[in-house]
Amino acid sequence: MRRELEQVLAEIEKVIAGKRETIEKILLALLADGHVLLDDVPGVGKTTLAVAFSRAVGLCCQRVQFTPDVLPSDLTGFSMYDQKSGSFVYHPGALNQANLLLGDEINRAASKTQSALLEAMEERQVTVDGVAYPLQKPFLVIATQNSVGTAGTQFLPFAQMDRFLVRVSLGYPDHEAQMAMLRDRQGKNPLDTVQCVLSKEALLSMQREAQQVTAKDAILDYISRLAIASRSHAMLQIGISPRGALFVDRMAKAKAYMEGRDYVTGTDVQAVFLDVCAHRVLLRETAIRQRTEDALRDLIKTVETPDHHRLPGFKKT
Amino acid sequence: MKKRSIGSVAWLLLALCLYFFENNTGTRIVLGCSLLFALLPILRRLFFSPDHAERITRQPVTIQSFSYKEEADSGDVRLYQPGDPINRMHWKLSAKRNEWLIRESGPETLPRDMQAESAASRDAASAKPKKKRLLLFCLSALLLLLLCLFLLPSARCGAQALCNRLFEASEQANAYVYTRFPVPEDQSIALAGVLLALILSCLLGVTLLSGSRFMALCLMAGGAAFQMYFGLSFPAWLNVLLLAAFALWMRKRPWKCGDAFMLLVMVLAVSLTVALVWPGVDAATEAASERARDLLSQIVRQTGGTVKDLSQEAYETWHTHTQTLTWGEREARAEKEFRLETVEEEQVSMPRWIDYLRIALLLLLTAALLILPFLPFLWLNAHRKKALEARKAFSSQNAGEAVYAIFQQVIAWLEAMGLGAGNLPYREWTFRLPSGMQPGYEQRFSECAALFEEAAYSDHALSEEQRGQALSLLDETERALYARADWKQRLRLKYGDCLWIEKA
Repeated sequence: MRRELEQVLAEIEKVIAGKRETIEKILLALLADGHVLLDDVPGVGKTTLAVAFSRAVGLCCQRVQFTPDVLPSDLTGFSMYDQKSGSFVYHPGALNQANLLLGDEINRAASKTQSALLEAMEERQVTVDGVAYPLQKPFLVIATQNSVGTAGTQFLPFAQMDRFLVRVSLGYPDHEAQMAMLRDRQGKNPLDTVQCVLSKEALLSMQREAQQVTAKDAILDYISRLAIASRSHAMLQIGISPRGALFVDRMAKAKAYMEGRDYVTGTDVQAVFLDVCAHRVLLRETAIRQRTEDALRDLIKTVETPDHHRLPGFKKT
Repeated sequence: MKKRSIGSVAWLLLALCLYFFENNTGTRIVLGCSLLFALLPILRRLFFSPDHAERITRQPVTIQSFSYKEEADSGDVRLYQPGDPINRMHWKLSAKRNEWLIRESGPETLPRDMQAESAASRDAASAKPKKKRLLLFCLSALLLLLLCLFLLPSARCGAQALCNRLFEASEQANAYVYTRFPVPEDQSIALAGVLLALILSCLLGVTLLSGSRFMALCLMAGGAAFQMYFGLSFPAWLNVLLLAAFALWMRKRPWKCGDAFMLLVMVLAVSLTVALVWPGVDAATEAASERARDLLSQIVRQTGGTVKDLSQEAYETWHTHTQTLTWGEREARAEKEFRLETVEEEQVSMPRWIDYLRIALLLLLTAALLILPFLPFLWLNAHRKKALEARKAFSSQNAGEAVYAIFQQVIAWLEAMGLGAGNLPYREWTFRLPSGMQPGYEQRFSECAALFEEAAYSDHALSEEQRGQALSLLDETERALYARADWKQRLRLKYGDCLWIEKA
């Protein structure tokens, strides 16, 4: 693994113990320039995680606690008439300054607010009164949704879930991690010890490099075969969308980059496949007691890996 | 090559002609086999590709050999100097470099197997004049002996007496009788016998020394014609033995196991085909052969008549015979009815189109039966060829491609031994690796798996060391797995999957 990224992980682990895998996935999403959906119960350290991330990478972190009366203009900013100058002045919203936006409980937001956020995530700019304001770079949204206490909430529509690069969940820490956490927080805040080990510019260049990782035809073929197989899988009603396939490719590239390689292998694809695709597929109603992860694992098991599957006319040039 | 195939076709036609005028099973076997033997180069090309296999297996799969090629192109040439032999000229390179270059086949620049070859060719070159002298000697002795046989009256008479003895023997074996030569009863056959034996041995010597297929085929045809004409039917096994001996002589000197096996199969196939397809005497062919034999005997009678130095008494007997024969014929012709009858008979005995059809069908069937035993070989050979093609990639110019192929081979080995881990990326196969391997094997395996991935999924150029690393892993895997395989698995490894190829 690359040393800089290793350092970032180590810094964040100071705060959140025993969740290395999840942190890695979020870092991958950051590298792949995508957004993260954290699906979790309250109080497992989502905000802490986001703040720790922003500090370790030197990003500007903003937090929005979504409630039904948060308006789109709270996020995108608004123009107000200034009497002195006699013209409209733009007042930026929460999105404009943020590199890392923590959207807490996105499922509680009104649907127009949700769509404003999702548009900003996709376009990386906000438009107010016909003027487009580009967002900061890098721009990462970590949106959370609670799986308990869903009264008065609007779950993200399936189509909008598709826009998040990965869906991960932190989950409860085990005994050891919890002990460590308790111990660390005796009279001090471990967040203060997190140091900036990676500059924003370095991160941006890393993002660029990660997207230049080679993905050969054999790998693209594998991703495509996985996506097509998912669409006709017995347990799945809706398979992986073309955007999903694109995201798998992007995430796999970031994974390869993190491993210090400049080429994607089948293992990379397999490693990110579940996280990228679990929220993009819908189970059939007949598949009771199954989880989408099971269907995806089955796909990985049955679809030939690029190692085994030789493309017709494969010839290394 | 072209000359040879023309020869083969000519031989085929000749053998077919002889085939249809003869009904003796043993002779048929010899003719069929010799026919097949004439076709051997074609059949070999059809069923086996040993040259191809040799070329690849001989190429040593070591790292040193990769850099050899360029050296061979430029290393062992020098500038032309007046007096150099023109056949050593390296035309290709001369054309490329626009200066006259001479091939210098110094032994120190050649790889080992090529050294051996050149040594062999040098030996052959030194052996050649000796062989040539022997051949000349044999030929001159043959001519001399033949002259003796025809010019010495006692020898000539002895030969005729010998022929008569043979006729007698043939009479005992077969129903038909031939004309005999008029010879005194007390004529000794010793001299003729000795001369004939010497002639035969000279003939064999010439065949052997010249190493020509044509001579041997002539001998074989001679043997078949001899049997046909005299009606002597050797037992089939003797004919087969004769054939095998001829075939052995005909082959080139390094007699390979595969060739012998091929010959054996061919002989068996011919014997079986003849036994199955041509079991008895076919009426039409019988008639045809009978006519041919009549014709032959007439020719013999006529040519015999022109020989001047027949003894007076014999000549007279022959003359009266001919006289009576012509007279009787005249008489017969005078009778109209008889003539009509003969015409009818001739019409009946004429082969009809249905016979030709039958012959064609039988020929087709024969060909099918001949090819049938070779089908498994065809299949095996295709397999082997494919496997060798795969191995060819090991020494490809591109090290990445080579590493890719080599690691696939390792995987093929593991799968063949039932140690595969199914649809998992290869780098995760380590947990299924056999336990009894050398220490550190897993480590080496995963290193090579990483190399494989680099070769397959990246644009990096791999180095020769990495190729060597993969090769050594393959070598280790092959040896360890082959050592632990039981005989069934070994058979499969050798012939089914063609993974195991013996190393020199």
